[in-house]
Parts: sequence; structure tokens; C-alpha cells
Amino acid sequence: MAAFFKNLLKNKVMLFMVLPGAIWFFFFSYLPLVGTIVAFKQYRFSRDGFWASIFNSKWVGWDNFKFLFSTNDAYTITRNTLLYNIAFIIIGLVLSVAMAVLLSELVGKTMAKIYQTGMFLPYFLSWVIVGYFAFSFLSMDRGMLNQILGWFGAEPVQWYSDPKYWPYILIFVSLWKSVGYNSVVYLASIMGIDKSLYEAAMIDGASKWQQIRNITIPMLSPIIIIMTLLAVGRIFYADFGLFYQVPRDSGTLYSVTNVIDTYVYRGLKTTGEIGMSTAAGLYQSVVGFVLVIVSNFVVRKIDKDSALF
Amino acid sequence: MSKSKKSFSFALAMLTALTLVLSACGGGSNSAESDSASGGKDSEKPVNLIWYTIGTPQKDVDKVMAEVSKYTKEKINATVTMKMVDWGDYAQKMQVNVASGEPMDIVFTAAGGFDYVQNARKGAFMELDDLLEKYGQGIKKTIDPAFLEGSKVDGHNYGIPANKELPQQEVWRFNKKLLDKYNFDITKVKSLDSIEPLLKTIKEKEPGVTPFAMDKNYVPYVPYDYVIQNLPMAVKLDTTDYKIVDILETPEMKQALTTMHKYYQAGYIAPEAATTGSTSDLMTSGNWFMDRAQTQPLADNSWSASYGYPVVSSPASDPIITNTSVQGSIMAISANSEHPEKAMEFLNLLNTDPVLRNMVDSGIEGVHYKKVDDKHMENLPESKNYDMPSYSLGNNMLLYLNPNDPDDKWDQFKKFNASGKNSPILSFNFDSTKVATEMAAVQNVKEQFWASLMTGTVDPETYLPKAIAAFKQAGLDKVMAEAQKQLDEWRAANNK
Repeated sequence: MAAFFKNLLKNKVMLFMVLPGAIWFFFFSYLPLVGTIVAFKQYRFSRDGFWASIFNSKWVGWDNFKFLFSTNDAYTITRNTLLYNIAFIIIGLVLSVAMAVLLSELVGKTMAKIYQTGMFLPYFLSWVIVGYFAFSFLSMDRGMLNQILGWFGAEPVQWYSDPKYWPYILIFVSLWKSVGYNSVVYLASIMGIDKSLYEAAMIDGASKWQQIRNITIPMLSPIIIIMTLLAVGRIFYADFGLFYQVPRDSGTLYSVTNVIDTYVYRGLKTTGEIGMSTAAGLYQSVVGFVLVIVSNFVVRKIDKDSALF
Repeated sequence: MSKSKKSFSFALAMLTALTLVLSACGGGSNSAESDSASGGKDSEKPVNLIWYTIGTPQKDVDKVMAEVSKYTKEKINATVTMKMVDWGDYAQKMQVNVASGEPMDIVFTAAGGFDYVQNARKGAFMELDDLLEKYGQGIKKTIDPAFLEGSKVDGHNYGIPANKELPQQEVWRFNKKLLDKYNFDITKVKSLDSIEPLLKTIKEKEPGVTPFAMDKNYVPYVPYDYVIQNLPMAVKLDTTDYKIVDILETPEMKQALTTMHKYYQAGYIAPEAATTGSTSDLMTSGNWFMDRAQTQPLADNSWSASYGYPVVSSPASDPIITNTSVQGSIMAISANSEHPEKAMEFLNLLNTDPVLRNMVDSGIEGVHYKKVDDKHMENLPESKNYDMPSYSLGNNMLLYLNPNDPDDKWDQFKKFNASGKNSPILSFNFDSTKVATEMAAVQNVKEQFWASLMTGTVDPETYLPKAIAAFKQAGLDKVMAEAQKQLDEWRAANNK
């Protein structure tokens, strides 16, 4: 104990700087953890407020989790959530790093700034607006894509009722929105790479491609691993806006657009069972937590320094 | 390793301690509050009622409520604070208010928005049977008894419905300009099939016009009443055995869906109807020929006024009194209200006293409105700072008439209400708690198939069997069996 306080005293400046963040995490991430109790209760209101409501509600064991696993949909939503997120992580990583490298190699810095801003912009749009963008392309009678198809004499496509196109559309839209933002993260760490490394390589006669492969990518690998580990932790969370707004909640597309978050929303929006939605959230975070621990463990086996913890 | 473990357990201990302290604080302040409340129960001191209602917050609410309070203080020794919550936020915000125990006395609730039956069951509202008997005799005398009967949940009243149009009746609405241009006779139109020749003409002669406007919530009318809105469990309106059936398996629905698909393929319906959230763009542009809507007396006038061009309508169904129509606007007393008796007295006054009811609705006389004669009133420019949704604020039949309203407006409403026939399952409210798991799955199947089937987008020959099978697989049979059990018990208890 004495050692602990000594340690505390020694690092007081650093700890003081951490304090605001720690307080934030305490109130908004740790304190609400008590509420996970609701996942095991049939939540009913009590006139004496939230705590009394929790206390007075009936224990129902694992009943609230059943709806996530009870039908064939369970397979569809788990598959969709996982596969889409894996695709987003892998393709997103490749594209973001590629974009960052390209931007860093651009000589004209004004143009680089313009590209960067242009790619950055979609990140700030809400999914509702992105949904309407997509609609202006995909609308059956007024959409741009069908008009272009018309010029080539092709039949118009019923985009919103044919599931086969949607895996591609969703991946495209998601990447369009996120790649610009992520590439800025990588670009920032490329900027931090010691320039003398490149100078030395150039003197040795390394080509651009050799420089990228042997200097940029290895120097980027810690941040790549961190970003990927963080993404893996959220692999069971689907982006609700992407899967709900962009396909315009079209029922015929559910086989490829239904994910855990939309399933929970649709199933509970009329009955409003707080216990069941809490159960779904708990399930998602537990799986995400396990995945982060496991993948971090794997990373640590391979390269101890790159691991998160 | 052991060191980090130690510091971790220390952190955990700190966390637990802090949680205890915090929850103790919460408890402490609560009990102090209720102490002071019971201490202040002296008969002289006026009570302040907090009233949550729906609608865009208005600038002059506090000003008007100050005036209202003066009046109510004299009549029932209570003052009123009104808190308005905007349309889109209401359900969610009230959910939070109830869960966190926010002080509230009177709360607006409805079958839509902040769901009445569900929240009554979850314990958000106070049971009013005794209060209604004691302080609500005025209400019982003025408002149509079907409202109080139909808004019972498990045999008890949890709210006071607003006295307004009682049955729901579907009508076909027509854009009168096009109707006149082609000299259509709408008096013979009633069934879904009877509109076909009209749609055909419009499709051929008016290329820029959507013949049959609809959004994704459209459901063809069939003579059944749904146990839960838009889930396929329903009871036939002229039933004698009170059997709940899967609406998708009924010949009426199959027939209607086949017709809808025929219309869809003929191009009478917009290709994206199944994903269209609202037809308000079409209504603004006027590029539509007909649609279906719910009516009330003088509805044609108000539609024409709001669109800016004439709209006429003709019945598509009989007027039926259902749970949804009865629960369209309800004022409940919050379960945590400190002054339920006063709240009930206030609701009684609001539903019986024209002065109070009009003040709440239109604001202060001479500031927001002026009276033209003893029945009519006219809005003044200031009324833009106090523009309230009339339907949500209690008895509509006490309201002064607008300059264009006919003198017998409320008599027309009374006649319309008297024409309504009770649905066989009026006031039966299904409690889905026992089948919550199946309900979530069934809801998802509904979302998947409903809109595309109902708007005719897909062929019922192939999709209807698929939908029926998917519902079964999701556990609809179990839900229906539970509903049937509850309905049978309800029937036995109510001698139906």
C-alpha cells in the first residue's frame, strides 16, 4: 500500500493530467455498468425513480437474451454483422493506408490539402443525408443509375428490391464515408516518420515503391495494429444508420441488410422492453471484449511491442 | 503482477464505496423531498400541477399558463405549469422522464407517440377508477361513454380521453381538379376494385400524375380489427366466436393483395411506394389523383385548406370504433404525481369548462384571439406565439369555432360518433409480456414482408405463402394462442 501511494505521489503531475478523462470515463462508462442488471430483469416503472424501478423489477434470468437466438434470423444477423465488419476493416485499412501514402507523396501541397478535405467531408454527413444521396442514384424512376443504364438500352433495375447488389453498395457507401477520415490518422503518423530514413534509402538507390514497402509500411505498423484492434472490439456493433437509412428500410433486402442493431430496433420498437435491448447491448459488448482480448493476445505472441496491453 | 492486482482490487473497492455513497445521496434527497411535500399539505396553499404535453414549444406558454393559473386557483386552488415537448422527441423524452422519476402530474399519451397501453402496464400512470368516481363526475357526464370504456386497460381507467371524433372511417380522397376534368362519379366508389376504371383513365391520360398515392404504411382495408396495429392477428368485425385469425390467411386479404399487385404492375402506384416514408411532396405539388385517409366530419374542408386546392372524399369503409380510434389522445396522471386528487379536479374542469378549455387552446382573449360572437372566434396576429394542437388538450367539443366553421360543427361530430359501430374487441388490450421473445421475432418478419406486400410491390402468389411461413417460424402461432387465451378470458369477464 505504501508503495502504491509513493507511486501516486511520484506521478502526481501525469495523474493530474489524466484526471479529467478518468472522471469522464468513470461517470459515463463505469457507473452505468451497474445498469447492466436491467438485462436480467423485466423492467417496470416504479414511482420512486430509476433505482427503485430496477430494485422492484422481477428477475427473469436469461429470458431477455432468448430473442437474439430463437429464430433463423439469428444466423442471418450474426453473419451479416460479422462479414460486413470484417470487409470494412480489411478493405478500409488497405484503402486508407494507400490514400495516406499517396497523399504524403504528392508534391503540390495545396492539391494534397484539397484532396484531403474532399475525402474528409463525407465523414461529417449524417446517414440520413447519405441515404438520400444514395437514393438519388438508385431511385427506380428518377435515379441517375437507371438513366445511365437507359442510355445503353438496358432495363431499369429495381435497386431497392433486389438484394444481390446490396453487399457491394453498402461496402462502397461505408468506405466512401470513412476512408477519408481514417487516412488522415495514417497520414499524420507518416508525417512523423524521420525524413533521414528516406534520404538514406534514396542515397542507396531505393525506388519509391521500395521506400514505401520498407520504410513507410513498417513504421506505420504499430498504428495500423492499434486501429485494427480497436475496430475488432466493435465487430459486433453494426452502424445502424448505414444498414437502416441507406437501404431505406426496404423489407425485401433484409437478407443482406439485417444486422444485430437493426434487428433489435425493429423487434423492440413497438413493445419497448428495455430489458431486452439492454441484453442485446450487453451481448454485443461481451463478444467485442472477448475478441479484443483474444486478438491482443495473438498480437502479443507475435510482436510484444505492438500489442495494446 | 501481484502489485497490479493489488491496485486493481483497491480501485474496485474505491468504486464500490463511491457507488454506495452516490446511491445513498440519491436516496437521501428523495426522502427529503417527499417529506417536504407531505409537510406542505396545508389546505390553504395552492398546489402546482406540472403538465407535459406534445407539440412544438410555444413562446407564450408561460404567459398563458399564468393566466390559466389565475383562473384555476380561484376554481380549484391549483396552478398549472405546462411543459411542451416537440413531436419527434415526445415518446423518447417521456420515456426518460418516467424512468428517472421526473416530477410530473398530468401527461399526454396516445396509441401512437408515447404509448398509452404499454406505459399503463409498465406502471407509468396512476389508476384512476376511484379518482374518476370522486372528482370526475363532470367528465363522466360530458364525454362519450365509449371513450372511457374503450380506454380501459385490464379493466381499469388510466387516462381521460379527449372528446372528439370517436370512430375511425377510411375514405378515398380525390384531387377534385382531376375528378372534374374527367367527370368521374365518385358516389358509386367504395371497394378497392371499384376504383380501377378511374385509375386506368388517369394513368392513360395524365402521364405526370401518380394515380394512387400511398406511403409504406398503407394497408388495404379489410373488415377486421387488429389485435395489435399492423401485426397479422385480427378478429373479424362481425365475429360471433371471437376467433383470432392470421389476417394474411383470410380470403379478403388475399383478394385485396392480388388487386394491389395488379394496380402496382399497371403503374397506378409509385414504384417505390414500399419504401416511401411520406407523400407530402405529392400533396404539395398536387400531382396525385387519389389516396386513402381517415376522415372526420368536415375533413374535406380542412384538407382543401391545408393543401391549397380542393380535395373531396368518399367512404371506403364503415365508421368503426376501435381501440386505436379511442386512444388517439389521452391525458393521464403520472404514477409519481404528488397531487393526484388536484390533477383529477383539474382534468375534470378542463373537460367541462369552456372558459378554461379555450384559454388552454387559443390563449388569452384579446391578445391571442378575439370572440366574434358567442360561438365563433378569430385568431389575432399574436396567436403565432401560442399555436397549440387542439386534439391533445382535452374535450374538443367545448372549443369556439373558427370563422369558416359551420354553426353545427360539434353536432356533426356527435352525429358521426353516434354512427360508429363498436369493434368486437373494443377495450381488449393484448398483454404481450409472456411472449416477448416471439414478439421481437414476429415484429422483424412483419417489417420484412409487410410494406412490400401491402403496397402491391410483390406478387402475393409467391410472397404471401413465404410471409405466412416466416411468421409461423417466428412464433406467431404461440403469440396468437396467448392472445386468444387472453381474449377468451376477457370475453368471459365482460359477458360478450
